[in-house]
Amino acid sequence: MSTTFSRRPPAPEGVFVKKRKSCPFTAAGIKHIDYKDINTLTQFITERGKIIPRRITGVSAYYQRHLSKAIKKARHMALLPFVSED
Amino acid sequence: MAKQQRHLYEGMYILSATLSDDARQKALEKITTGITGRSGEIHKIFDQGRRKLAYEINGRREGHYYLLYFSVPTKQMADVCKEYFLNEDLIRFLTLRTEKVPEKIEFKSLEQE
Repeated sequence: MSTTFSRRPPAPEGVFVKKRKSCPFTAAGIKHIDYKDINTLTQFITERGKIIPRRITGVSAYYQRHLSKAIKKARHMALLPFVSED
Repeated sequence: MAKQQRHLYEGMYILSATLSDDARQKALEKITTGITGRSGEIHKIFDQGRRKLAYEINGRREGHYYLLYFSVPTKQMADVCKEYFLNEDLIRFLTLRTEKVPEKIEFKSLEQE
């Protein structure tokens, strides 16, 4: 009698399997993050107005650098808040 | 003499919302003449309208946003920006180098999940 073993057994039920996040900018094919694009930028800041770390959003290091600069430009032009009180 | 180096710039300006329409046009003219007077050229002006500021600036809660695309000799650029600090109607400005003049301001949305 022969038994076949898969190289990686499936995770038992109830065990959390970490799903690899993909960069939303790479997926959407966005080459340049513009500081005027408030709708996109607001997706990457908290309610308080802080920039969300990339370990949570899954943005690649390259785009996170560009994103943070765009957010800072938008803050300067009062398009985004530095600190949101409400 | 060597040819003057020119670059294309994008400038965003917030003008005071308390100004009347005429006064606002004059304030905008002051900005544009500051560029054209220094052998610059205005390519496009986008009027982005009145907008609530994300935070209060010098007691102002609203501003009128303008977006200008212009080219200016690089040596004149410092003088152009220096003049903005003396303009009291101008709440805030940001000038950046850019590659091309867009037809209209629109952005691709992120399709998440």
